[in-house]
Amino acid sequence: MKRAIDIQSLLEWRQQRAEDEAPRAPSGTRLLKLVQPWWEMWPDRFAESVRRLASIQLSYAYAMTQHPHGHTGHPVAALISREDDEQESPARVLYMNVRDARLRLRFQLAQVPMRDRVFEVTFVSEAGLQPILSAYAELSTDGEYRVDVELPSELAAAWGSLRVTDPMPFRFILRPTPDAN
Amino acid sequence: MRFVWFWTFWHWSTESFRSAALLRSPLQGIASHWDEWYQHEASESDRQAIDAVGGSVFEQRRFVCWLARHWAREARWRDEQLPGRFVLAQLSRVAPFDKWTAFEKYRSTYATPGIAAIVLNEESAGEAVDVRLVEALALPLDDDAAAGTVVADGFQIDSGDLNTARRAALSLLNGKGFLIFLSLWTLIGERPYPRYLRMLLAAGWIGVVALIVRLLVGPDPGNQLVTLETLLFALWSLLVATSLATAGTLSIKAWLMGREMRKRMETLQLRLRMNGGLSVHGGSAGLAFCLNDLLAAYRSHPRAANRSWLWERFFYKLRGASQTWAATGIISAEGKVDHVVLEPKIRACLRNPTITDVLTPWQGEARQSLIDAAAATTKPVRRTAPSGEMILGFASGARKVRSHRCRHAAQSIIAIGDFASKSQLTANVFALAVTVAMALALPDIRNVLQPPAPPSAVSPGSPSSYYLWVSLDTDRPEAFKAALESGFWSNRRANVIAYGGADGSSRAEMRLSRHRRESTIDEEDGIVWIERRRTFLGREFQPGERVGSYPLSYLTGLRHE
Repeated sequence: MKRAIDIQSLLEWRQQRAEDEAPRAPSGTRLLKLVQPWWEMWPDRFAESVRRLASIQLSYAYAMTQHPHGHTGHPVAALISREDDEQESPARVLYMNVRDARLRLRFQLAQVPMRDRVFEVTFVSEAGLQPILSAYAELSTDGEYRVDVELPSELAAAWGSLRVTDPMPFRFILRPTPDAN
Repeated sequence: MRFVWFWTFWHWSTESFRSAALLRSPLQGIASHWDEWYQHEASESDRQAIDAVGGSVFEQRRFVCWLARHWAREARWRDEQLPGRFVLAQLSRVAPFDKWTAFEKYRSTYATPGIAAIVLNEESAGEAVDVRLVEALALPLDDDAAAGTVVADGFQIDSGDLNTARRAALSLLNGKGFLIFLSLWTLIGERPYPRYLRMLLAAGWIGVVALIVRLLVGPDPGNQLVTLETLLFALWSLLVATSLATAGTLSIKAWLMGREMRKRMETLQLRLRMNGGLSVHGGSAGLAFCLNDLLAAYRSHPRAANRSWLWERFFYKLRGASQTWAATGIISAEGKVDHVVLEPKIRACLRNPTITDVLTPWQGEARQSLIDAAAATTKPVRRTAPSGEMILGFASGARKVRSHRCRHAAQSIIAIGDFASKSQLTANVFALAVTVAMALALPDIRNVLQPPAPPSAVSPGSPSSYYLWVSLDTDRPEAFKAALESGFWSNRRANVIAYGGADGSSRAEMRLSRHRRESTIDEEDGIVWIERRRTFLGREFQPGERVGSYPLSYLTGLRHE
């Protein structure tokens, strides 16, 4: 003979069981560590990358037979920082738009085989060589990388009037990230 | 208005570029700009409209037609009409068009075929697939100064090779290469004469030769000499003037047109597409790239070439040749075509069933007899019909691939434009020979048609009493002779010749010898006549009119002065 069980009891039993089986909630320390940016987790590595980034000197020089016919923008020094090596590659900013405290940016790397679909981009200030922003850049069409990130209010105000033809007030440290897809 | 969302995108793109939010121009960066607009800027209603079009293949096709036929004409960039096929090819790679069936055929082609390049696969001995279709397209050069003037799509190559081919193309349009092309065409190139004029000109040249022969070997024309030489000179002048005017007019028009196209080409970005992801090493595709650069420049403004018969014909033929011609050869910026490894490339052409003509450097391996021999032993690969397409079947014998050997890219223009004409070459050689003969005969003709004024006898006389000098004050001594008629001295005739030296003068010299049967004992008896001399290319005719006479005593007296 079957015993009648009401649905409320069944749900409570299932919830109890799920709670028993669930992993333990991380501690506050652990949570703080997870949201910590990489340059705080590995300051030595960051310092090394910044040293190398600072040593990159970039500007377009024209040895053309004809007068350049337009603007080129200004190259942004970028350092691709992998586990085993670091590679310098100038980046060209192709699109920049700051609106509603969001930055939409497209850039292209020079002379790098496009094997990374996603980079974690660390914006390092040109002036103080301090990390100012971190975002993800996804590979888009034509080998371009696209960034869409919320900006702190002070950066939104400072970068609001920037144009792609202006010298950029930042440098990039790019860290390959496993593709979420 | 249909597809208003695309206009919205285009407006956003142009305005963003103007406000320097975008680095690349709306045309050059259209795929990237669309991606940005579609991902972040498109409104909900725009997305719904796009999805509605994408939901039906029929609507997709309508959009493609609208874009190519209407939008591309109306949405001008830098006052240039937009290349619809380029835009379609670019958009076909980004969402949502990358899923649309109607964009399928634009993903791998611009549908602008050019002269094929022969690029061998690694360790290939020459296969049909080594003949690679090259597509060429020209866009207005981007404001982005870092953008290359020639861009390789679908393959990798040293940009220096592409730029060299472009410089050679510029030289062919208006430079040293053009002058070589013009010289070759002048020598062997067909002229745009109508048939009746061609016959008339041929008859004219034959008439000139007939008159020359008549004057050289026919009976002495006597008084008709002036008429004959007038006719000869007029006919020859008319023919030469016609030839020079035709060649000159066509050359000037071609030069002006070439200069205009060169200026235009300098403002264009050329895009060469070769599918297969090849990394091209070596410069043997240079000649093909150079010709495709020309084709791309022409396609960007096809009507521009209509003002020059030479360019119009070349580009018309080049467009037609794009399906069946292949080219190989390293090219220099001046247009010189250098040697390459040829044997496997010829084999590749023979195996490729679509190739009928191949442009090669001037190498022994490309001789027509060798290619014909190789064709007899090389089996072409059968062409497969893609997706049920019908193909023509040929029941002919051995396949013929024509070889066109070039030392300079200008020769490839002659070959593609089919300018070379054996009959024109024969006519030119014939006309040149006749003109050389006429040039040699011109002083003789001038003396007949435009005789010099009658001269006077002047000193010096002969210092010897055994000689008579008849010195004349003329600068055209060859137009005169002197004739002595005397009862005491033997009668003589002598040509007037210009003598140099201390006693230099234009004079006729005669040795004085006594008559065997003199009719007088007076040594001073006699008259010297000055006659016009009539000759043609060394043939001496009867003397012309007498234009002066002097007593012998007067002339012998001159020596004493």
